[in-house]
Amino acid sequence: MKNTIWFLKGIRNGRKTEKFPSTNPEEPPLWPSRLVGSGTPECPTRAFDGGKWNSGKCISCRLCLPDYQPTGDQSIHNIKGKVQKMLSRSFYLYPVDSGTCGACNTELLSILAPQFDASRLNIFFTNTPRHADALVLMGVYTQGMEQVIAKAYEAMPEPKLVISLGACAISGGIIGKEPLLARGSLIEISGCPPSPYTILEALVRAKEGKT
Amino acid sequence: MQYYKTTRGGGRYIGQTRNFTVYSDSIVPPIRVEKKPSEILPGELIFNYGPSTGGLIESVRIALPTPGEMIRSVAVDPAYKLRKLKLTGLSLFDAFMRVERINGYHSSSYQAAFIKAAEDALLIGDNRGIDDGLVLQMELERIRSHLNVLERLCEPAGFGVPYHQLAQMREEVARLISSIYGHRYFFGVHASLQSSPKISPGLTATANGLKKRFALLFESLQSSKIFVNRLQGTGKIEKPWLVGPVARAAGYRHDARTDSPSLNYEGYGFDPVVEDGKDAFARFLVRGNEILSSFAIVDQVISNGKPESAGLKDMHGTGIGASRVESPQGDLFCYLTLKDGMVENIEFCSPSISNIIAFELSMQGNIFTDFHFNWESFGIWISEAGVEIE
Repeated sequence: MKNTIWFLKGIRNGRKTEKFPSTNPEEPPLWPSRLVGSGTPECPTRAFDGGKWNSGKCISCRLCLPDYQPTGDQSIHNIKGKVQKMLSRSFYLYPVDSGTCGACNTELLSILAPQFDASRLNIFFTNTPRHADALVLMGVYTQGMEQVIAKAYEAMPEPKLVISLGACAISGGIIGKEPLLARGSLIEISGCPPSPYTILEALVRAKEGKT
Repeated sequence: MQYYKTTRGGGRYIGQTRNFTVYSDSIVPPIRVEKKPSEILPGELIFNYGPSTGGLIESVRIALPTPGEMIRSVAVDPAYKLRKLKLTGLSLFDAFMRVERINGYHSSSYQAAFIKAAEDALLIGDNRGIDDGLVLQMELERIRSHLNVLERLCEPAGFGVPYHQLAQMREEVARLISSIYGHRYFFGVHASLQSSPKISPGLTATANGLKKRFALLFESLQSSKIFVNRLQGTGKIEKPWLVGPVARAAGYRHDARTDSPSLNYEGYGFDPVVEDGKDAFARFLVRGNEILSSFAIVDQVISNGKPESAGLKDMHGTGIGASRVESPQGDLFCYLTLKDGMVENIEFCSPSISNIIAFELSMQGNIFTDFHFNWESFGIWISEAGVEIE
């Protein structure tokens, strides 16, 4: 196949986008996903408190096996309040890496892959905080990024949201502490790193004003 | 420490750790080289890119002193997102959970370097099952990592169709990894022997189908003059200290898969992919051909091997170990001191540090429009360069 008429190659490839989130995920990972079980097993991040699993602290280390088992359920996000409906027609995200291992960054980018195609759901990335509806924070607190994050948030127009993506941004995970701005975030997307299914579902619910 | 001498041998230079200069066969006291700050010449300005802006996956500041279109020099500062990881005093497994998050996108390489250093320290002999498991992980990781670099090269070229098709393939590899290991980034894979990889019957067919589709796309990209012209002649570099695909694109056969005793690749019929163009296009060719060779290794492990988990929770003891493995970016070295199963000292030499220096040198004299192609062609990960391990 020597010809390089890319348009035709794209057409020949066919439609690859899944119907998710209106249908169930086609190939969800087991880790991370909702854990079910009982007791307070060994956990390096103390994700089990009083027999209750806290998804925001879970790093999928599997030390809780066999007391807790993964279900494959990707709905492990927490929308703490109602998001203004005016974001429902287009939702622009400005991602900021506070101190990641790189996994959250690539999972967030994966929502643009043809299987997910976030743009069909009116979710886009922007190159500047001045055009952003939401600041997506990833990674642990680092001194060097503190001011960068504060300036980016200040530059955003109202109404504006903060989204904590991944265990590091929600609770510090196993590496450190969460970024300062993440402490007031309205939306928490759990996982280490969160799968594109979890990210997409949380973003769609947030922009549609669902809790 | 079975494989590394503490006096200078004749091996090639790999890089620096906190307390050592690392060569392929020895580790010796460090050589400290002071980096001179770049001076501004009359009529020049510094163009700052980052630390947070579109086009960058991670936070990094890149300063470009320039009189206009031409870039005279480049300074990459990976310290904005500097993470501090305290590993000393932790048990082997507690340290391991943090080590696999030094560079999450290449966690397998860090896992392999750490496990092989621990085996060296505790004088644990080679276990073919564990080696097969690590090789399978690392080759799947290499395929995904190289697909990501190729995808990122298509983006600034405005090649939307191959960009999306590569993104689709990258996602398919992530799902393949997830189906074998339960996690898309291999986290927690070595928690216990129970978490050994699960090879399903249809895996070979899935991997072969993916390989075939990639081979066609790779061939098409090579025959696209517009794409090739953007990469050819961009970011040329040739130095004997280069590592990984950057070295192999400059004609050097540097590859820890053939010149490190840490992880056994014998029996896989593997031969390093070497090009001599020295530029971004040669790096593209090396990565593309390595995807194909990695698929061949994956096929062999799935067909003939019995991959196992290392079961780190069961490892205890005292000793000093070192290892070197070939991560998708190049040589990754780990030095580990254990006392009664606890980490006393740990040091890494990450390939992205070498690649940052190579990128800075290769960018000199290029123009602004070359910047993105050249940056992406090195496949640098800031997470492993901007980290302080105690």
